This record gives sequence, structure tokens and C-alpha cells, in this order.
Amino acid sequence: MEDNYRLSKDHLQSFLRKIKKDHRLVAPVANQHGDTMFSVINHLDRAPIELNDQSQNGIKSFLFPQQETLFTYHAENGDYHFQAVAGKAEPTVYFGVRSCDLMAVLYMDVAFMGGVKDQQYLAKRRDSILIGLNCNQPFSNCFCNATKSGPFLEYGFDLQLTDLGDHYLVQVGRPKGRALLKKWQQYFTPAPQEDVQRQYQLSLEAMSNFRLNVHADQAIQRLKAGQVGGEIWERLSNRCQDCGGCAYICPTCTCFTIVDRRLSDTSGERLRNWDACTFAGFTKMAGGHNPVDQKNRAIEQRFMHKLCYDVKDHGRPSCVGCGRCVGICFGGTDIVRFIKLAGED
Amino acid sequence: MTNSINEIEQAEVILATGSNTTEAHPQIARRMLDAVDNGAKLIVIDPRRTRLAEEATVHLQLRPGTDIPLLNGMMRVILDESLADHLFIDMRTENFAALRDMLYKIDLAETERITGVPLEKIRQAAQLYGRARRSVICYCLGITQHVVGTKNVQAIANLAMLTGNVEKEFTGVDPLRGQNNVQGACDMGALPNVYPGYQAVDNLDFKEKFERVWQTKLSAEPGLALMDMTHSGKHGPLKAMFIMGENPFLSDPLVDKVEETLANLEFLVVSDIFLTETAKFAHVVFPAASFAEKTGTFTNSERRVQLVRQAIAPIGNCRTDAEIICELADRMGFPMDYESPAEIMEEIALLAPIYGGIRHDRLDGDSWGLQWPCWDRNHPGTPFLHKYYFTRGKGRFIPGDHQPPVEVPCKDFPYYLNTGRIYHHYHTGTMTRKSEMLSRESGEALLQIHPADAAELQVRNGDTLCVASRRGAIQIRAQITTEVAKGSVYTSFHFSETPVNRLTIDTQDPIAKCPEYKVCAVRIEKAS
Repeated sequence: MEDNYRLSKDHLQSFLRKIKKDHRLVAPVANQHGDTMFSVINHLDRAPIELNDQSQNGIKSFLFPQQETLFTYHAENGDYHFQAVAGKAEPTVYFGVRSCDLMAVLYMDVAFMGGVKDQQYLAKRRDSILIGLNCNQPFSNCFCNATKSGPFLEYGFDLQLTDLGDHYLVQVGRPKGRALLKKWQQYFTPAPQEDVQRQYQLSLEAMSNFRLNVHADQAIQRLKAGQVGGEIWERLSNRCQDCGGCAYICPTCTCFTIVDRRLSDTSGERLRNWDACTFAGFTKMAGGHNPVDQKNRAIEQRFMHKLCYDVKDHGRPSCVGCGRCVGICFGGTDIVRFIKLAGED
Repeated sequence: MTNSINEIEQAEVILATGSNTTEAHPQIARRMLDAVDNGAKLIVIDPRRTRLAEEATVHLQLRPGTDIPLLNGMMRVILDESLADHLFIDMRTENFAALRDMLYKIDLAETERITGVPLEKIRQAAQLYGRARRSVICYCLGITQHVVGTKNVQAIANLAMLTGNVEKEFTGVDPLRGQNNVQGACDMGALPNVYPGYQAVDNLDFKEKFERVWQTKLSAEPGLALMDMTHSGKHGPLKAMFIMGENPFLSDPLVDKVEETLANLEFLVVSDIFLTETAKFAHVVFPAASFAEKTGTFTNSERRVQLVRQAIAPIGNCRTDAEIICELADRMGFPMDYESPAEIMEEIALLAPIYGGIRHDRLDGDSWGLQWPCWDRNHPGTPFLHKYYFTRGKGRFIPGDHQPPVEVPCKDFPYYLNTGRIYHHYHTGTMTRKSEMLSRESGEALLQIHPADAAELQVRNGDTLCVASRRGAIQIRAQITTEVAKGSVYTSFHFSETPVNRLTIDTQDPIAKCPEYKVCAVRIEKAS
């Protein structure tokens, strides 16, 4: 089988309808207030799929929910009984996933399945299919060119679409993508070489269309060499407003905390909630001592993890350049600002 | 606020006084810090070394309750150094002679002695504020929660008018409101003396107007101020109360007195989204819907009326506040038949001229809301106030003298106690203390104490202290920090286990009726 196909835009809706027959479909949808969000699509014809806007969320929360019950317990006859929450998930197709969000899933795979296999994550990830969408035109806060995670991907996807006007070029990646394409092959025709050339031209043009100038390599090298001075951490930590928005919106932030919630006198549940390393409670000890100087170093772990530790451990930064934290940070301590400061002599 | 929030970013100089902006108003602080990034100078007046003070060009760490002498001192420097805007004073103000005469009597050495702020710093702040063409003042409860709260605000107004820093864009006087809709509640007449739109209850024209529309008889007598109600006690005149979304059992001073009042009411109704400490006294509790469960408007600090749309259906049996009120009125024989919140807004527009042009259809769609005054349907709203003239005509200078706080430290109660808010909790914690994450970030009240005081008392971080005032005592753990000055301690009132309002004083500003939460005298001992 070839690896490049054409899908006419006229048939996209029909293809998605077929997918929905045996999968849950998640895609970016424009809601009534003008926001684009990755959402579960219940009624295909009533949900306007929006592929020209950057969705405000990634697909992190579908694989790693903001709050997730791990098990429940109840007391009976003086004994505690524990009940694991079943680790089974619906097979899901994620459609229209941008390069940055797709790379983020690959990073989450390493975080949750690299060593100890996280059963909650595994259950959701195992039966998921990722259909990517290359970015012909980067959005205003994007810098995936600097983190080498877009705007066009060459691996990681099951299927990948490139918008060529009246049709998409569809590239086949992993076997699950090939199987899906084969199952609904009536919508696909082999792509001529011309389409591949056009795609390459579009990727060249996209690369030159980034509006932000972000020199991540320089910052990464200076961090590795220990050349980033304390005054930068101090300046940004002082400005950080401690809202945690950057971690919650980040497609690669995977830290969580465990809490127990009482449901009645004899029952309760154990949950995991998203956490953020910028929070004092992330490192504060039971006696109140915090090994992190919260005032001057609150954001150090965040940027060191993304731009230094992960480069050392996995060969690449775990920032995927989606730019969402740039839009959400109201303290002016986002990663682009840090990269700029850290890259300067 | 006389300004719009975004104008703060364009200011040349920002004077923040009595405001822990980064913790209490992060969205305002962000604009201040952006302004600083653009080269603006930041003056912070605060007895505590807050995070904002760390970012300041000059921090005037004054003794609690000495705001008026400090501001007067700054004004004297402005006069001495010819930084006053005499053209503005002539054109737009009156009674300047009285202020000038008072200022010329000031001895700046005395100012330094009373406030504890080095004269050099006062001079620097006055020069910065007075020389800039676009100076903004932001103030908060550190100014108003004093027995001289009203006079403090007048002193701020004097300073702004003296230098002509009002009536134009990027200048002004901005009280920062503490809740998403406290501005809206005041606008709608949730005050004892005015109808919606600040129309005085005792003005017979207004009374007649409201009677005609509401088709009922109204009283021309202003109602009681909050503490006249919650502190009326066992034998007070009050027989019944209907409390909505407020938790006075924790938020008012002299908790014991509040308890006595609530426990002895013949009938108490509380409506809230959770069962609060106050609701536990109630005969009837109405479960109210939260913001996400209703449609309506909120009016924020910059007078911006914004539409909030229902996101989820009300959970369980709860109802919106409007439904509760309408249903009650109905059962009491006064039908209030509104088909939607939009219809209520139409009535507001009819009765409150400052809301005259505001309708739901104008707030929907791409609208970011409308700022009052908005006189008619074609009016675009008002980004900043007092263009051409002040509301009363000419701005009147009202000179004020220093009046010490009701309680200052003495031999038996040697420390100043200051109370306020912390980042992770909101008011009495009825909502925020339900969140595991926020509780982890901050799960108990801590008493901030200076290292030198801690050493003197042989107190270590985390030790439990007994803090007593003339009115009561609480136990609280110590947090040693240089955020507070030596001789002062600080804590928050969010935690019902540590009811700090057992300690605070109930003496009020005679005009605004706001108690002096910010200053009282306490004794500190290590708990055995």
C-alpha cells in the first residue's frame, strides 16, 4: 500500500460519520461563544468542526483528566473495602490534532508509560487513534519551529492531513491509521506526486510565517551550561501570579496530586488532580518548611524541567511551542519571555 | 474607579496605597507591573512589605493609621516644589485656600515622626507623583477600613486634584472593589440610603418616581447600616433578617455580639450556595444558584456591566437569587412577574439613569460590556469619569488632620494587629475552603510576625500563639517574616477556626460606617 492519499473535502463529513460508528470522535468545535475547544462530538451535523482556529485546550484532558477517581472505598463490619475504578475506555479517534498537540501526546506516552505503566492513562491511550492536521499558517503565539515540534510532522501520527485547498493530502503513519484508512477506503484515492510537492512547499512557507522570534536552542544551551543567573529566576518568580494557568493549559504538564475525599461517614474516594510545580503546596512539607524559595524560585522547576531536564533525559525539550501559556499568563512570566531572557548574555 | 482598568498600563506613575494588589487584585496588579515594564514608576504606601512593595520604585512603609499625615506631607512637598497644577485648581476645583493654609502649617519633621517614614522618601514619592503628567492612584481597604476612612479618601482626592491628575485619560482615583459584583450591588441600591442608581431615599422626587413604577408606598427614611443591624444585640430593634450571600458571623467585628444578635432574632432567613456559619442560625435556608447556573449581569470595578450566561442547569433544588426574591414577593402578595433577567434590566434602565442605555441585547455577542454612566441606547458608555466637570460641579478640597487610630499599642497590648486577605481564599472561605487544592496551598490562618519580635517572645516558626485584644482572644500559629514591620502583626479572616474578628474593634467611620478592621492593639503570648 502507498503512504499518500487524497481525501476530497466533500467527503470529510461522510468519513467522520463512518468513524463515529465504532469510535468516540473528539475534534475542535467552535462553541456558541466563539471559543474553539476539543470536544466529544455527539451529533456530527450539529457540531461545527473548526479547523482554522487554534483550540484553546489540547487533548491532554481526554487522556489525563483534570480530576480522575482512582478507587472508591467503604467501611463495613469494621473492615475497609476498596474498589478500583475500571480502567476501560471507549475507543476514540482524535481528529484535527495539530503538530504541537500530537507531539505532546508522544511526550505523555513517555511520562505515563515509559517506566511504570500508568493503568488509567494506558486504558485511554491504548484504544486511541490520532489524526493530525499540519499547520499551513502558524497562529500568533506559536513557536513550534523553535521547539522542533511542527508546524509539519513526519512521525507520531496515525493519519496526518494537510490542507491543499479543495482536498487534503492524507499521510499514513502508524498501523492503526492504515487500518482505519483501509476500512473506509472508498473515500481515498492515491495522491499524485504533485500533492507531495505542494505539501513540501506549504511546509517551507509555514516555517517562514512565525510571528514570534523564539531562540529556544540558545536558552537550552545556556541552561545546560548553568549560565542562567539567579536574577532571571527572581525577576520572573516575583512576577508569577501563582494561578497555575500555564500548567493546566500546557499539553505536556503531567504532574498530579492525590487527594482523598470523604463521601459519607462510611465511604470515600481517592482522586488525582492536576497539580503545578509553581504552587507552594507542590514542595511544601508537612511541617510547613518549603525547600523551594517560593518568592524567588517558584518558576525555576517549570522551565528547568521543560528546557533542561527533559533535554537531558529524552533528547528534546518537553515544550512543544503551542504558545497557549503565552496567551494565558497574566503575570508576564510565560516561557517565551523566559527563553528570551535566558538566551541573552 | 474613575479610570478603566486598561488605562493603568499607560500611566507614568502609579500610586498604590492600602492595597495588596498582587494577592487581592491580580488582574489589576498585572497592569501595574506591565506599566512598570514600560518604564512607569510605582509608589507603594503600605505598612507591610508586600510583593508589590518589592517591585516599587519607592515604598513608604508607614505606621498603621497615619495615611492622612503622610498624604498631607506629600502635598506640602508638592506645594513647596511648585508641582501643583494651579490652572486645574482654578478651573475645576474650589476651597483650595483652606487646603493650602492647612498644608502650610505642617511641620514635615513632625510628619516623619508620626508616620515613621523618612522624609527623603516622602519627598521622592511626592516628586514622582507630582511631576508626571499621567499619575494614577489605586487604593483599597487599607484606606477605607479605618475610623478615618472617609477622610483618608478625601486626602487622596485632594492629592489628585492638587496635581490635576483626574478628569483625563490615564489619570484618576481608583478604589479597587473586592468582589466581582460589589459595584453592581451598590449600583442597585444594596445600601441603606439610596435607591438603584444612587438616588437618595430621602429625596421625595426619587421616592415618588419609584413609588409610581413599583406601585407601592415607600419609606423616605434611610435604612440601617450593616453593623447597626448585626450588632443590635439581644434587645435591639431588629426582629427579622434576610441575609443573602453574606456571612456576617465571620466577617463582622465583635463576633460575640453578632452571635447574640443572630441567635435572638425572631426570624432569620439565609440564602447562600453553601450552608455557612451564619446559615446555621437560620430558621429558613434557601439554597441559591451559583454564578454558572444563572444569566444576568455583573458590574466590575471599572463600572463595566457584563453579561454572564447560564452554563449549566441549577443543581438539585437550588434557585437563582432573583427567583427566590420574586417567589417570596409573590407569596407575600406583591407579584413580581419578570419573564427573564433581560426584563429586569429594562426596569433598571427605566429607573436608574446611569444604566439608562444598558440592555441585555447590547451586552450580548461580541460586546465586552458597557461602562456606566450610559445614558441612552446610543451612548457608548464612559471609560473614565469626570470629563469636563465633577459630578457635584467643582471638585471641593476638604483638608483633613491626623486622627490616630482608636487603639494604639500600649504597655498591656503592645502590638498593632492588621487584618486582610490572602491569595488562595476568598472572604470567609464559604467557597474556596471547599477546594482540596486551595486548602493544600493554604489551610489555616497564620500570624505574620517580624523576626525581631519573634526573637523577643522566643517564638519559632509554627509555634502556637495566644493573641488577645481588649475584646477577646484566639489561638493561631506564627509565621515569621519581614513582610510585617517590627511591632506589627498581620493575619487573615478567612478561617472559621481562627475567628480574628473576635479581636478587631467595632468603632466605625462616622460617615461610611465601616469598622476599623485595619488597626487594633493586641498582646501576644506563647500558648502553653
